[in-house]
This record gives sequence, C-alpha cells and structure tokens, in this order.
Amino acid sequence: METIRLHTNDSFEKVFVNGPEVDLHIVQEAGSRVKIHVINVSGLVPNKAEGSDLQTVSNKITVEQVGEGCRTEIYGLAYIKGEEQVTIETHVTHAVEDGTSTQLVKFVLDDRAKGHFVGDLKISPDAQHVEAHQTNRNLLLSDDAQMRTQPQLEIYADDVQATHGASTGQLDESALFYMQQRGIGKEKARQMLVGAFMKEVIETIDDGQKTKDALLSSEPFKSLFF
Amino acid sequence: MMKPLLEIRNLHASISGKEILKGINLVVNAGEVHAIMGPNGAGKSTLSAVLTGHPAYEVTEGEVYLRGKNLLEMDPEVRAREGVFLSFQYPVEIPGVSMVNFMRAAVNAKRAHEGKEPLSGRDFLALMREKRKMLELADKLNNRSVNEGFSGGEKKKNEIFQMAMLEPCLAILDETDSGLDIDALRIVAEGVNRLKTPENASLVITHYQRLLDYIVPDFVHVLADGKIVKTGDKQLALELEEKGYEGLAG
Repeated sequence: METIRLHTNDSFEKVFVNGPEVDLHIVQEAGSRVKIHVINVSGLVPNKAEGSDLQTVSNKITVEQVGEGCRTEIYGLAYIKGEEQVTIETHVTHAVEDGTSTQLVKFVLDDRAKGHFVGDLKISPDAQHVEAHQTNRNLLLSDDAQMRTQPQLEIYADDVQATHGASTGQLDESALFYMQQRGIGKEKARQMLVGAFMKEVIETIDDGQKTKDALLSSEPFKSLFF
Repeated sequence: MMKPLLEIRNLHASISGKEILKGINLVVNAGEVHAIMGPNGAGKSTLSAVLTGHPAYEVTEGEVYLRGKNLLEMDPEVRAREGVFLSFQYPVEIPGVSMVNFMRAAVNAKRAHEGKEPLSGRDFLALMREKRKMLELADKLNNRSVNEGFSGGEKKKNEIFQMAMLEPCLAILDETDSGLDIDALRIVAEGVNRLKTPENASLVITHYQRLLDYIVPDFVHVLADGKIVKTGDKQLALELEEKGYEGLAG
C-alpha cells in the first residue's frame, strides 16, 4: 500500500489503466483535491505489450478527508471478458465538515467475467455539510457473467447530502431493436450501447485529453465510439 | 408486370404462443398509401412488428415479399437496409448515443448495403441540416441522445426526420398521430406527404380517422381479430368514424 499525504490546497490527479494492482491510500488536508480513475479494459491494445492481463485484478483506493473543504472524485471502469476478474474497492471517509465526494464505478461483464465492487462511504459525526455521492452501475452482456456489489454506508452526521445507487442490468433490448430497425447491425448496435454506457466515466477524464484520446483511439474503444 | 412492392400472403403470427394475426393478405404497389384501421387489440401493431422482424413475434404461417424478395428470411437490420422503415408508436430513448452518431451509423449501413461509399462528415451533416429543416426540428437535438428528454411531438417528428434521412421504399407509420397536437400533426403529415414518390409506399396504421385528413389513403383496410375484414377507399375511414368499429357489418 502506498500512502500519499496531500497538504492544504494540493491537488492529485491520476489515471490508472489496466492496473495491474492499485492500492492507494490518500490523506487529504484542507482544501485539497483528488481525482482518480481506475480503468480496466480487456484486450486494450497499448497495454498488451506490458503483458498485463486482467486475470485477477484488484484496485483499492482509500481516501480520508481530514481537513475541511476537500474534494474527492473516484471513477472506476471495468470492461472484461473471458475468465477475467476485477475488484474495485473505494473507501471514502469524511472526518470533517464541508467536504464533497463522488464515487462512480461501472462494470461491463462479458462471457464468464466476474466483477466485484466494494464501496465504503463514512461520514463522521462532526462532518456536517458534506455532500457525498456513490453510484455503481453494471451491465451484464452474458448470462454467465457475475457481479457482486457491496455498498457500505455509515453516515453519523445529520446535516449532510448523501446519495447512493446501485444497479445491475442487461442491454436494453428495445434500444437494440430500434437501432436494428434503422439498419444498424446487431453487433454494431451492441457496441454503440456499451460505448454509451461507459462514456459517462470516460468523459470525466481531463488530464489535458492525453489519456482520454489514447484510450478512445485504441481497441476495443475505437469500435465502440467510432 | 411489375412485382408489387409488398405482398403479404396468409400471414399468421403469434406472441408467447397466442395467435394475433390470423391470415393477413395484402398487396401494396409502389406509389400507394394504405391505411390500416381497427380497434385496439386487432393486431395492428403486431403487423408492424412482424414486418420489421421483432424477435418477440413468431410467424407460424404465410409469406411476405418485398419487391419479390422473401422478407421473413431477413434479419431486422437487413429489412431496414432493403427499405422497410417503421415510425415507432413509442420511439425508444437511447441515453449516451447522440442523434448524429446514431443517424450516421444508420445511413452508412444502408449505403454499404447498396455498395456505396460512406458519406463524408461534411456531406452527412449537410444532409442532416436539410432534412431537419423540413420537420422544423431544432438544431440542438443533433447532439442530444436519441429521443432522450424529447417531448412527445419531438419524438414523432424525429421519427419522420429519420425516415427522410433513410428514404425507405416502404414506410410503416404506427399510430404516428397518437399524442400529437394539431400543429405537430400537420408538420408530421406534411413531412410524410413530401417524402411520397411514385417509387415508394406507406402503410398508415391508425386507430382514428384524424390523421387521414392529412395523409390521404388510396385504400383503407379494416383489421379485426387478426384479419382484414373490409377494404375500401378513403370513404370507409369516414364511415368508421361515424359508425364506429361496432357498426361495421363484416
């Protein structure tokens, strides 16, 4: 585990693409900002050379807000197939007032892939006026894929805005048919819908566009987003 | 003699084992507008679903030919590329897929099917602009997700806009008038009328006569309990309006 301490008003941004292992612990002092992406994509071409496979990947991000007015954004994405297994764990603790946090994690699982999301959100009794959101959305492309979702919310302050949502579903059959009725082939339509599902996470990357552009122009993203 | 554009012979179809269409026969020639009317549950929407290849329906008997080609053997997307277009009664919202990308995939799939090169980005956008104007659709809808957050009227205009982009030989309008106010109805109907050519045809499925004041049919068919029970000209629609489906003596 790597621990990073962010001093007052520091900023930390990082995009991890195809792990392999991420275990990061960040302590935030007043006014600091964190924006982290963990992205795991099966068969992502630029990473093949590094030999990283996603057989069993674990990404763990732990963030503690110990100073007031901090901002934390954690985004996770996994698009895996075959026998691949990805775990994404996010632990966010608001120990003091006036912080904001976002956890948005999406899995797309094909074949017999397994996804596991553990999402921890703690708001201490002293952490009033916190705004915290946790969302986990998952798309199963095969009957044999498996998703496990474990949200854990511990909210001890009363004057906070906290939302939480988790859902797991399949591709929208009526959207698929609508697209086919316009002449779009079934496979292409599936790709467009998978791309649309993942876009919400990818669009939040803003490291001067470099990582985003590299991602979008490599397979399999290239065929998902034109 | 020219082959009919659409020929339906003794079509039977069911959903979840329940027979809905019980022997439909219909010939549609190029240049014609046919209205299919009938009470709820008669099988009107089933007919459009079966013609477009919706996977929930099973054809148990009969044949359908589009310009002499066996339509029932084709996948839904191939039927679309061959020129079958359905204006959906309930257009589907597709979050995250922009109208531009959606339409470009559709237009280029059809062009590829016809052995044509894909349209350049510039030509494609010019085509979008031209067709959008016809339906009085706002430019801002271009970058919005397909149908997402569109009003009822915008959704129906968007259907006819897509029809204008794809120039089908057979347009099936499934209850296109439902949920439209009179202005939207006029715009939609004008759009349909302007797209009419001697080479294409429309099948207008409707519960009410109202739409047929704007889109004047050459033939009116009454569908009841899975069969066409009466065929006439536009007078038949007015008669139905007056007497109701109940008053129709087989």
